[in-house]
Amino acid sequence: MSTTAVLCSEWIKVRSVRASAGSLLAVFVTTVAINVLASATVGQAEADNEGADLLFGAFYALNFGQIAAIAFGATAVSSEYLNGALRVSLAAVPNRNLFYAAKMTVVAGLAVAAGLLTSFVTFLSGQAFMGRYALGLGDPGALRACVGGGLYLALMALLAAGLTVVLRSAVATLSLLIPFLLIVSFVVGDVAGGVADFLPDRAGQQVLRQDPVGALGAWSGLAVTAAWAAAALLAGWWALRRRDA
Amino acid sequence: MTSIDVHELTKEYGTTRAVDRLTFSVAPGRVTGFLGPNGAGKSTTMRLVLGLDRPTSGTATVGGRPYTALDEPLREVGALLDAQAAHGSRPARDHLLALAAANRIPARRVDEVMEQAGIAAVAGRRVKTFSLGMRQRLGIAAALLGDPGVVMLDEPSNGLDPEGIIWIRELMRGLAREGRTVLVSSHLMNETATFADHLVVLGRGRLLADTPMRDFIEAHSEPRVRVRTTDPVRLRAAIAAKGHEAVAADHGRWTVGGARAEEIGALAAAAGIPILELTDESASLEQAYLALTADATEFAAAAAETPLQEA
Repeated sequence: MSTTAVLCSEWIKVRSVRASAGSLLAVFVTTVAINVLASATVGQAEADNEGADLLFGAFYALNFGQIAAIAFGATAVSSEYLNGALRVSLAAVPNRNLFYAAKMTVVAGLAVAAGLLTSFVTFLSGQAFMGRYALGLGDPGALRACVGGGLYLALMALLAAGLTVVLRSAVATLSLLIPFLLIVSFVVGDVAGGVADFLPDRAGQQVLRQDPVGALGAWSGLAVTAAWAAAALLAGWWALRRRDA
Repeated sequence: MTSIDVHELTKEYGTTRAVDRLTFSVAPGRVTGFLGPNGAGKSTTMRLVLGLDRPTSGTATVGGRPYTALDEPLREVGALLDAQAAHGSRPARDHLLALAAANRIPARRVDEVMEQAGIAAVAGRRVKTFSLGMRQRLGIAAALLGDPGVVMLDEPSNGLDPEGIIWIRELMRGLAREGRTVLVSSHLMNETATFADHLVVLGRGRLLADTPMRDFIEAHSEPRVRVRTTDPVRLRAAIAAKGHEAVAADHGRWTVGGARAEEIGALAAAAGIPILELTDESASLEQAYLALTADATEFAAAAAETPLQEA
C-alpha cells in the first residue's frame, strides 16, 4: 500500500472530527490566553520573588496547554474505538504496522506544529507584559525553552495517543493522565525528590527552566519524557498488532 | 473471477468455539445467502475473512490470497460489517473520503457511491444525525467504494424501509449479474429467499449446508399438493388407496402431504375424477431452514415459538 495514501487518510480522519481539531486549537488558545492573563496581572510580582526562574515563569500556562495536548492525542486515536470503527479502518488498511505508524505520524506532526507555535507565541506575548523583567529569544536558554516547550506538548500528546490504543478509550486515558498531572505529580513531586524527577511532566519541564533543578538537565529531562511517550507508543503498537479488531 | 475460500477455519474465544473447522467457497456470479441463528459464527467468519480477527487454525482467502496481503483491499473486497461503525461526529462524506484516500480511490467515486446509495443529499451531515437506515446505506456505500469484485454484507437490510429493502435486493442481484462474488448474511429467511441463489448455512460454528437454494428447500421440506375437485369423496378414496391422506383445507381445497402434482394428477385422470385446481405447494425457505436448524440452534426454544409461515 502507498504510505502517502494512508497518511492522507489519517489526516482526513483527524481534521474531520471536531473533538480532535478542537483540542488542537485549545492547546494554542488556552496556553496563550492564560499566559497573557497571568503575565499581565501577577507576572511582574512573581518575577520579583527571590530566586524566581523567569524563564520557567514565562511558560506557566503550559500546565494548562498540556491538558489540551493530552485531549488531542487521546481523541485523535479514540475515534477508532467507538462502535467498532477500527474494523472499518483496518479493512481499508490491513497492514497494522503501516496503519499505526501513519496515524501516530499525523498526530505527532500536528502536535509538534501546534506545540511549537504555542510555545513561541506564549513566550513572546507573555514577555510583552513583563516590563523590566522581560526576556527575549536571545536570552540564555530562551530559544531552547521555546523549542523544548513545543516538543514537550507534542510528547504529552503522543503519550496520550499510545495509551489510548492500549486502553481503547479516550475517557480512560484522560481519567488516568489528568489526575496524574494535576494531583500525583504535584504532591509526589513536592514530597519526594529523586524518583519524582523522572515523572513525564516534571522531567520534561526542565527544558523550560533557566537553571534546571533536580537530577536531570534541560534536554536529558525532555529525553525522559520522550522515553515515556515512546513506551506508550510501543505498548499501543503491541496491543494493536496482538488484538483481534 | 474472485472467490472467497474458507478452509478448515476455526476460531476460539477462550473456551468458546465460535467457528468450528469450517470449509466452504463462495463463487462469483451469484448471491450466496449466509444463514444461521444468532451466535452461529456468521459475523466471526466474515471478520476472519477480512483479517480483523486471527483464526485459531485454518485459512480464509480471497482470490487465493489472504485479505491482509491485498495491496489496496477496498478495490477487491467491499464489506459492510456493522452499520454503526462510523464515527458519529464525522461528516458522512469525510468518513468515505478517509477510506477512499487510503486505497487511492478518487474523491469523485465517493460522490458516485453516495449518489448510488441515495445519501448524496446528506453527505455533509454528521453520521450521528443519521437514522439506522441511512447508516446502513452509508455502510453499503463504503462497501461499493472500490468497485470491488467481492462484496460481503452482514445483515444489509437491517433498519431499511421497504423501499430500501427492494433497493438492496436489486443491488445485490445486479452485482451478481455483473459476475461479482456476493456473500450476504441474514437471519430473515423470507428476505433471503428473494435474493439468494445459493446458501451457506451455519449452526454453532459448523457448516450445516452449502447448496443451491432450490435444492436446499427441496431437501429440507416434504412435498405437498393442493387440489380442488367437484368430487372430494372419490378423490379422497383414490388418494387413500395410494397411501396418502387428503386433508380438508379452506375454500373447498384439499392438501395432500408427501405427494407431487404429477402423481395426484395421473391418479385423478385414471379414476376419471374432475380436477378444478392442482398445484405443488413448495415450502418456504424459512420452513426448510427451521427444519434443518431445529437441533443446531443455540436458542431452540425461541425458534420453536416462531410461527411457521405459509409459502
